[in-house]
Amino acid sequence: MRREGSPFTGLGAVFLKEYADHLGSARMRVLEWLVVLSGIGVVAVAIITLRETVTRDQFLFLNLFLYQREDSAVPSLLSLLSILIPLVAIGLGFDAVNSEFNRRTMSRILAQPIYRDALLLGKFLAGLCTLGTGLTALWLLVVGTGLLTMGVPPSGEEVARSLAFLLVAIAFAGVWLAIAMLFSVIFRSAATSALCALGLWLFLTLVWPILVPVLVPMVATPDPLAARFGLLSDSQVEWYLGLSRVSPASLFADASLAVLQPDPNMTRIPTLGMLGQLQGMVRGAALPLNQSLLLAWPQITALIAAVIVVFAITYVIFQRQEVRA
Amino acid sequence: MRTAILSLLFAVVLGISGPAAMAAEPPPKGLWLTTDFPSATVRPGEITTIRLKLQNAGLPPEVAALSVSGVPEGWKVDLLGGGQPVTSAMPGSNESVTLSLRVEAPAKSQSGRYPIVVQAKTASASTELPMTLSVGTDLPAKLSLKVKLPELRGNPKSSFDYQFTVSNESGKDLIVRFGVDTQKGFTSTFTEAYGSNELSSIPIEAGQSKDLKVSIKPPRDIAAGSYPARLRVEAEGASDQTQVVMLIQGQPTLRLTGKDGRLSGEAEAGKPSPLTLIVSNEGTAAAEEVEVSGTVPQNWKVDFTPKTIDRLGPGERKEVVATITPFNKALAGDYQSTMRVSAKGDSVSSDFRITLTTSTLWGIVGVGIIAVALLVLVGAVARFGRR
Repeated sequence: MRREGSPFTGLGAVFLKEYADHLGSARMRVLEWLVVLSGIGVVAVAIITLRETVTRDQFLFLNLFLYQREDSAVPSLLSLLSILIPLVAIGLGFDAVNSEFNRRTMSRILAQPIYRDALLLGKFLAGLCTLGTGLTALWLLVVGTGLLTMGVPPSGEEVARSLAFLLVAIAFAGVWLAIAMLFSVIFRSAATSALCALGLWLFLTLVWPILVPVLVPMVATPDPLAARFGLLSDSQVEWYLGLSRVSPASLFADASLAVLQPDPNMTRIPTLGMLGQLQGMVRGAALPLNQSLLLAWPQITALIAAVIVVFAITYVIFQRQEVRA
Repeated sequence: MRTAILSLLFAVVLGISGPAAMAAEPPPKGLWLTTDFPSATVRPGEITTIRLKLQNAGLPPEVAALSVSGVPEGWKVDLLGGGQPVTSAMPGSNESVTLSLRVEAPAKSQSGRYPIVVQAKTASASTELPMTLSVGTDLPAKLSLKVKLPELRGNPKSSFDYQFTVSNESGKDLIVRFGVDTQKGFTSTFTEAYGSNELSSIPIEAGQSKDLKVSIKPPRDIAAGSYPARLRVEAEGASDQTQVVMLIQGQPTLRLTGKDGRLSGEAEAGKPSPLTLIVSNEGTAAAEEVEVSGTVPQNWKVDFTPKTIDRLGPGERKEVVATITPFNKALAGDYQSTMRVSAKGDSVSSDFRITLTTSTLWGIVGVGIIAVALLVLVGAVARFGRR
């Protein structure tokens, strides 16, 4: 039973309707306020402290995203976003498909000349655009506040780096939106879907970082020479990084740091094998933007590929479901 | 007389008289006026002092009246004893009195010879000293300059120190000024032979000499060769000069920069990339056997073409291509490496900053992974798409 015509027929209509619904919904209002208020709060703390410290930094503006006082409980904007973005994405996506079933509107929609492909993709794109809108608004707010209060205009490279960070953040949001939609397709009950998505998020955010250091010594052989220096052996570091990058939050943090921190030595985990690689390196030198992007590229790739793969799984499951009136 | 008889008697009595004593004539007796130089030179308008001696040999002390006769008109001639004008003297027996003849010739006195006579007269004896005072035969002011080592050898960076002696061979104290005539660009300083004060002139008393030193520094970029310099001393009415020679040997001065003066380069991890260096000789002599070497981080490789330059003349520049191969696992960032050129007599090194970029291969792999994921999605759409 081959279909005729493009699978994207009706995509525009679904996308626009869903987008409008998202932007107008009370849930989105709440989530937006949550993001904006906490984001502005964190940035205000960063700005107040940055104005007091007089250290000259070539990339002062990027500190707005990264700054965290050591003795303060206020997180940096980066770590705040790595918690808030999944929350908002799950909030938008956990009932994307099953609410249509519960309201019994699915058959009505599909009675229109709209394929399931277009319905699913339209819902996903609408969610992603909503998240993108929110994040872009937050980004503009941060940059604008920085401009107003610090009186230093950002350089071109700083703008480029923070834009790259915005794209990474949207890709990260896409992963969690896709995961939330996957659960909304699997489970007919919205509560179960939300619970599962939140459970997975909590597992990856809270439990996985605790589990990884326990798992690493089981799988990787320690290096006695490295242990004497208090360093991890090369294979241990590889396992550590590989396991922790199962979590999208870790991918997001790594990619963002590589993009926002031009000095790569600030973000590297030192290993014994790295000593030979770092020998002769000029400390404190900033990497050019393209090299920073190359550093972050594997993580960005993983995030984008994860979005596509999870969406593909969602698509397959959705296509195999039965839709009845 | 009495003493002579007494001494003779003593000699006879004691029987130890030597033959010399027996043969000695009795010393002359009497009163004498003497001077070392009976013909003295006086300068018009100046005071000249001549030492005289009134000697009493074997006479009892008596007052001797002193006088000067034949003094030319307008001259002022006085006899001084102990700094005061005196008219008489009284030398003890077998003693002498030192007198000074103070002569003041008028400023306009004619040149010529003027005889005067100084007389001393006691009751029993008298003596006369004829003298000649001449005017106009004054010694001219004269300086002489003598350099101990007039030819020195060195390189453009060294300073040439010539020790020299200036003698004032005239009857007057002089203030002597010095100078050196050199080619443009040389600098010179005068000091005392064993002093550090810089001088431009020095007073030298009549008949005295001074040891001095001149230090000449050539300009840095001077070509090898022999450079003469004229050393001058001048005073009022007198001067002298002599020639000193600086033999300057050339010296190579190497310089190492990147092309267009850049001290940075770029390289990709694991791939050989060229860095063009410019070796130039800004010295004054050719550099022989110029060797190029480099220090790069561990596990990196560096190779030069050419490795050595046989000869690099002054003012010449040559390109050397350094092929840097970074460690294939090197991390992106800036690395420091030092390039060095050395030749006989000079060596120089420059630090270069190598910006290491990593291969974009993994970026393409990433795009490939995304493409595979999209293909899976498209495959799913093709497989599961339905009405």
